[in-house]
Amino acid sequence: MPQLTDDKRIIVDKVSFSYKSDDVSDSRPDKKALDGITLNIEKGSYTAVTGPNGSGKSTLAKLIDILEMPDEGRIVVFGKDTSSDRSFWDIRRKCSIIFQNPDNQIVGTTVEEDVAFGPENLGVPTDELRKRVDKALKDVGLYEYRERPSSALSGGQKQKLAIAGALAMHPDILIMDESTSMLDPHSRQEVLDIVEAMRIRDDLTLITITHDMTEAARCDRILVIKDGRVALEGTPAEVFSEKEKIDEMSLVMPVEYSFAYRLAELSGGTLSMEDLKDRESLKTACARELKKITPGSIKESPFEKKAEKDEVILQVKDLSYSYDDGKTYALEGIDLDVHKGEILVIAGRSGCGKTTLITHFNGILKAQKGSVTVNGIDSSDKKNVMKIRQKVGLVFQYPEYQLFDETVYKDICFGLKRWGVPENEYRERVNKACEMTGFKTTNLEKSPFELSGGQQRRAAIAGVLVMQPDILVMDEPGAGLDPAGRKAMFDMISRLRDSGVTVIIVSHNMDDSAIVADRVCYMRRGKIVKVGKPEEMFCGAENEFNIPRPYITEFALETASLAGIGDYDSCGDFTPEGEALALASYYAGGDHHDR
Amino acid sequence: MIGDMTLGRYSNTDSILHRTDPRVKLILYVIYLVAIFMITDPLALIALAIVTLVLIFMSNTGLKMIWLTVKPVLPLALFIVVINLFTIRTGRVLFNKGFICISDEGISRAVLMGMRLIFLIMITSIFLTLTTTPLKISDALESLFSWLKVIRFPVHEMAMMMSIALRFIPTLSDETKKIMNAQMSRGADYDTGGFIKRIKGYITVLVPLFVSSFNRAEDLACAMDARCYRGGVGRTKLNPLKIRRADIVIGIVLALLAASLVITDRILGQVLI
Repeated sequence: MPQLTDDKRIIVDKVSFSYKSDDVSDSRPDKKALDGITLNIEKGSYTAVTGPNGSGKSTLAKLIDILEMPDEGRIVVFGKDTSSDRSFWDIRRKCSIIFQNPDNQIVGTTVEEDVAFGPENLGVPTDELRKRVDKALKDVGLYEYRERPSSALSGGQKQKLAIAGALAMHPDILIMDESTSMLDPHSRQEVLDIVEAMRIRDDLTLITITHDMTEAARCDRILVIKDGRVALEGTPAEVFSEKEKIDEMSLVMPVEYSFAYRLAELSGGTLSMEDLKDRESLKTACARELKKITPGSIKESPFEKKAEKDEVILQVKDLSYSYDDGKTYALEGIDLDVHKGEILVIAGRSGCGKTTLITHFNGILKAQKGSVTVNGIDSSDKKNVMKIRQKVGLVFQYPEYQLFDETVYKDICFGLKRWGVPENEYRERVNKACEMTGFKTTNLEKSPFELSGGQQRRAAIAGVLVMQPDILVMDEPGAGLDPAGRKAMFDMISRLRDSGVTVIIVSHNMDDSAIVADRVCYMRRGKIVKVGKPEEMFCGAENEFNIPRPYITEFALETASLAGIGDYDSCGDFTPEGEALALASYYAGGDHHDR
Repeated sequence: MIGDMTLGRYSNTDSILHRTDPRVKLILYVIYLVAIFMITDPLALIALAIVTLVLIFMSNTGLKMIWLTVKPVLPLALFIVVINLFTIRTGRVLFNKGFICISDEGISRAVLMGMRLIFLIMITSIFLTLTTTPLKISDALESLFSWLKVIRFPVHEMAMMMSIALRFIPTLSDETKKIMNAQMSRGADYDTGGFIKRIKGYITVLVPLFVSSFNRAEDLACAMDARCYRGGVGRTKLNPLKIRRADIVIGIVLALLAASLVITDRILGQVLI
């Protein structure tokens, strides 16, 4: 144990913390968010704190910045004790946090006013303030936007704004508390690149709290927290060599590690600590293992092609939509057939028109030009509104924000009442919807606001499924969930498809959706770029339309080209294990061994 | 609809009025409010309309922007006109059938009231909402009322609350739209039915909106804490308010213009009598 006066470390020593319930009538014991946790973080290091939702990761950030005080134990930040009044402001001004929700941390009405908020609080003189604000905005690439209203920025830009606000305070410690979890992969990459560059330049201690393992793998050191304690710690190589422990804690490996393990299993080789060091060495190791595979040792094409469905249930014809009377088009000339019983993923970056498109599917937006028909019924026609909305269930992003009634049961029944479904059918329909979504029926009589986030989302989805729609449209169903939650969500989507429901998923992230998709429709700037089966969209190095691939497909392609098979054009089921098998069987099947 | 409101939406076009010190604008705003309510003569009203046009031109926001702020108020203006038209029965009766009675004084009064409301909205947007960021308005209020601190009135806190409220209007209005879309997908209907039924229907929007506002407030308080906010003491400003000569000139010129409108109105009123 290092000395507590050590000014080169953040030391957390046997710290416990529980959130007190404000409700006096609530007799449940306070749940311990942290339970005697001990850890230390080196000055200038890049540390990931990870673990399932509710493991106490975010609490740790708040304790370091003295936004909360520990019940027991001590925290010493670079030699200053957080419990001492004298060091309070010293610590807080040197430690900045970027929070999860971009909207809820912006104070200023314009971009530059928001960046200035922190240093203004510190009493920085005006001319120095101007310099700091301009510099911070240039660092994150928002200088051109400095006079814009902050609410008009995109989600990714808002997080960059929050980073600028932190940088302007000249912090020593920067904590990212799930800061990228609400962003699309492109913005996420940009945000991480910025903070990593700033860390090197300003010698920051960077702590990133995340449940994204691929993000954690970028750090020097990983702390895995479970039930309020450190369950596993070390370099990425050390942590990800503990495959059993990771599985046991219902965490998931970063996809490239799962891929490498499966590949090594197929080749009969082993991965050394050096191989597990980072993405590059992992790729080299994968190429090495791939070359060990002997021809014919793996059977060809282990993946059965999904059956084609071609009965059209929803048809979009030449649909265009503009929010500003034709100056710009959110949708332009969209033609799309949705087939009965398939899972169609509509993908594209934030702001490409995906949500505008699906809002036409049940007639909430009326077609300005072109048409949307469901089973031959025009969705824009006022007479058909109720019929269409029963047939096409729409689950928007973060549907838990739509819950309103006293009990979950009443909330789920809302639609049934509106459609005049006989009351004696309610119970059975609700139970069925709960079963589909995995909502615990014992919670039905509770207020929706007492539930955990995951249960709330299930309740909200049940409130749509209870209408027994033929088509279910979901906007970013996995947003904000941890890996276990996301897996449960996509399992549910597969179950729905198997029970005959046509599912349309809108997503900016291909990693999960490529696995379940029967077909993918990629959009860019209001237009459809390409529609096809996942393998047609993502396989092979050739990428005519520059469509972003799932992370694992990208990794498999890079491995293939490193192993000398740059013409690799097959793929598996888009799970890391599946991709490893597909690559190995391709290698075993061909005559690549002479090269 | 709530989302169409331009209230609190700053128009990012540069102009003389944009650059004027917000305290001067706030004072001018009050002067013009008084003037609007003092002017009754039709000719003076026309003069006021011309002055307003000049102000719109000075503010460089464009007539379309002004129209967008006036449009939502038109039904209310019409309502005021109608009420006045039918309730004022003094003066020469022009039309009298059953309980409908319209007099010449009723007409002029009704038109005046309607005009006043529209002028009010236009002046508010020109001096405040369109040309001044909410943060500047609250800065100006804080500065103009700072003498109240002597009696321990929380001037800074009030200004901060106001600017945060204004900052969140666009965010909450977007959220309202999202929640309404979600509820409409579950069969909610906000457009038909009687008044009571509609109000009841809005519960499905208001409850989620309230809950999320509380969550946001909690997050925001935490974020402000993390950014070392500790009230107004010792705070500096990125853009501190500084009175320049140009501000004083604009203030005096526009104030005199308002005064001359009122005087014109008085003189015209006397001449007519």
